[in-house]
Amino acid sequence: MPSSMLVRALGLATLALFFLGAFTPLPVFLYAMISVPVHIERADAIVVLAGGGVLASGQLTDTSLRRTVRGITLYRDGLAPLLVLSGAAGRRSEGAARAVLAGKCGVPDTAILASSAGHTTHEEVAVLRPLLRARGVRRLILVTDGAHMRRAMGLVRDAGFDVVAAPVAEVAAPTQPEPRLRLLRAALREGVALVYYHIAGYL
Amino acid sequence: MTPYLAVALTSLVAYFIAVKRLGWRPSDLGRALGRMAESLGTGVIFAVVNVLAAAGLVLGLRMLTNRFFSLYSLDDLVWLAVSMLQGWAWGLWRDSKAAPLR
Repeated sequence: MPSSMLVRALGLATLALFFLGAFTPLPVFLYAMISVPVHIERADAIVVLAGGGVLASGQLTDTSLRRTVRGITLYRDGLAPLLVLSGAAGRRSEGAARAVLAGKCGVPDTAILASSAGHTTHEEVAVLRPLLRARGVRRLILVTDGAHMRRAMGLVRDAGFDVVAAPVAEVAAPTQPEPRLRLLRAALREGVALVYYHIAGYL
Repeated sequence: MTPYLAVALTSLVAYFIAVKRLGWRPSDLGRALGRMAESLGTGVIFAVVNVLAAAGLVLGLRMLTNRFFSLYSLDDLVWLAVSMLQGWAWGLWRDSKAAPLR
């Protein structure tokens, strides 16, 4: 087969993926394959993973805000006595900004543990492990995006904790082409990240 | 679905203008779509090479400078669009060998 035919076939396959992604429920199925079902039970702590840091204006990013609100809601529902707000370090600490928000939402300071260290999920879990151990945490509710949950849960389990998944939805209603494509992108990106974490030996 | 109905409608109108007014042959449309797929395929190859090169650069910079560079910087759709342009330009360049561009 001439190389131009192979390139053309690749182009057609890409077009097919684009149309299947935009106009069929394929992204929903792919997303379901990599995500973890919600299963919330009482635990020793709620751990909210970092979500993109803090904007120059001092506000949390959309992802970070969604995850933080989810964590605060779980705390207010009485599912754990400790709310751990992790975040990327930077000019402004995401963990600290999240802690301020949690405080304003009625979570007492004594129930908040803010951490701003680690740049990747792998580093984040490594930083959180001794902090959680020192507080006697054995079982935790993990809050992160749905696509990210499988990889994050694997790391937290490997760190020796019993994990309950409380994923945050990335796309509210993937019934339109653009949200479906966003979901497909999230699923593909996380698929690549999972492969990378396996190759790197993190999982 | 309104925008997509509009796309279908304008495609149909464009087809009739091309065939009836401009005298283009309907049989050439399949070949044109094939060339489009080829351009797209070339763009995908550029995209894969670009993302692998960028990932290598990010990981290399992490090791060499001992500073953190995020792989999430690759999660940007602009590089995909630029890769498609690379593929398109590549195809046009190759075609210009057979029939020089005016």
